[in-house]
Amino acid sequence: MASKMCQKSSQLPLTFLIPRFCLQFAPRRGIKSISKPRPNRFNRDPNLPLLESTTAAALERKRFTIPLRTGALGTKRGMTAMYDPDGRRFPCTVVQMDRVQVVAHKTRERNGYFAVQVGSGWKHPSNVTRPLLGHFAEHKVSPKRHLVEFRVKDESGLLDIGKIIGASWFLEGQYVDARANSRGMGFAGGMKRHGFSGQPASHGTSLTHRAMGSAGQSQGGGSRVYPGKKMAGRMGGHQVTTQNVKVVRVDDEKGLVVLHGSIPGPDGCSVKLSDAVKKPWPKVPTHLLAAQPATDPVSDTA
Amino acid sequence: MACTKPIHSPLHQWHNIFRALPMLSPLSARPLSTASQTTTPKPRIPPPRLPANISQKVFTPPKKIKTYPPPPSTRNHHPFAIAAINEAHITTLDPTGARTRLFSRSNPDVPRVGDILLATFTTGDPFSGICLNIRRRGPDTAILLRNRLLTVGVEMWIKIYSPKVRSIEVVERAVKRARRARLYYLRKPKHDRGSVEGVVEEYLKRRRLLRSGAVGVREPTASAKNPSAARKGVGAR
Repeated sequence: MASKMCQKSSQLPLTFLIPRFCLQFAPRRGIKSISKPRPNRFNRDPNLPLLESTTAAALERKRFTIPLRTGALGTKRGMTAMYDPDGRRFPCTVVQMDRVQVVAHKTRERNGYFAVQVGSGWKHPSNVTRPLLGHFAEHKVSPKRHLVEFRVKDESGLLDIGKIIGASWFLEGQYVDARANSRGMGFAGGMKRHGFSGQPASHGTSLTHRAMGSAGQSQGGGSRVYPGKKMAGRMGGHQVTTQNVKVVRVDDEKGLVVLHGSIPGPDGCSVKLSDAVKKPWPKVPTHLLAAQPATDPVSDTA
Repeated sequence: MACTKPIHSPLHQWHNIFRALPMLSPLSARPLSTASQTTTPKPRIPPPRLPANISQKVFTPPKKIKTYPPPPSTRNHHPFAIAAINEAHITTLDPTGARTRLFSRSNPDVPRVGDILLATFTTGDPFSGICLNIRRRGPDTAILLRNRLLTVGVEMWIKIYSPKVRSIEVVERAVKRARRARLYYLRKPKHDRGSVEGVVEEYLKRRRLLRSGAVGVREPTASAKNPSAARKGVGAR
């Protein structure tokens, strides 16, 4: 084989002796691809569709589900009942909004998305860490008990920093999504936690009435328990969302929002309220969205 | 291991020299033969430089961060949220306050368990029966009435503030004050009073006469002292 190659190369003129422009016209041999070459090895082209895994694509996907305006923080105060004009009684939950204020903004340029940081309540400055105190001082807002973020679609949803969000931020008749940490149930068995059926009470069942049962196949399933297998464990205490909760009544003076039905969490828990994603956005009067200065900071630390 | 002693090779001597050059400048002036013999220079003790102001070493507290006062609180000024909502709701449901007054404990003519009550709904349907229980829960205040309709015992919880209830009237007082808060024993066959239709029928007949003015109206003043003295017709509309 090597000798053949040597023979062939000896017959041909040495390539470095041939002028370069002549080489261009020399017939090339080899395997030719039928398909057209890709525009770029890394598939980068202005005409290509947007990649699905980019931040820009993610924002575009979520364009219809990110609220136009920020939500608000409240405290669940308890439940009661009301009568509608037809005389039908319905249960309702009372949420109180206390000193809810815009603390900071998140922007696309700095953070990759638009969001409003909202705080509620008040915390004594001696109980707040210095980094957080600096954060509050930077935005000239009092230290807050709770701090959460609400995503907004674009910069038009960024409410002015320091603006107080009252109960009238929500309109009577509109729908909201209520998020809160559910009641903690502690360590719960499979029947309570996941609704397993358990075992029969009789028919020879012995001492095993509420057990989980089998955790999977034997050798056929790899002789292992699959990840995510539903088992007994800690139940509750995680965030739960109740969607499409109707706002029944709003009392701005007392900071009360009355919601139709129940929402997650025990009384006194912090509740995040935001415009319902699965309903049309509420038609908000312009004075709610307009930039308004915060009310004069009257000292109220009691 | 064919060991080449780096100290004896001339190249490494140069390397040592260059490495030492910036630190020990007088070395560069020495001949190469002696350069390999590393001589440790005496460490230079810097002259004592005391701080200009010794008192600077005293602990200084960290810079105070400015805090801003909170806005006025809604929660501190209105701590009883549920009560406020209930009160506001009752005022809309019962603008005259007649139903609240009728079932308030301060009312001497308050309906008690064991009384025969008559509730009329906005549809015009009446429901009457012996009051077994009065559940006072703000806007959810309700009464439990028991009657017998067509040989079947029937009970109904009636919310007194419900817009579907037009009126609640006391048809007949219990002869004796009940010694229980809930008269569930009336469900037992031994104690069941049966139908109250007869009593209610008589009451309605009497009321029609009273309204037509055929009979003189009795003064209800004595009722506070002796409520069991067959004071009838107390109600709220």
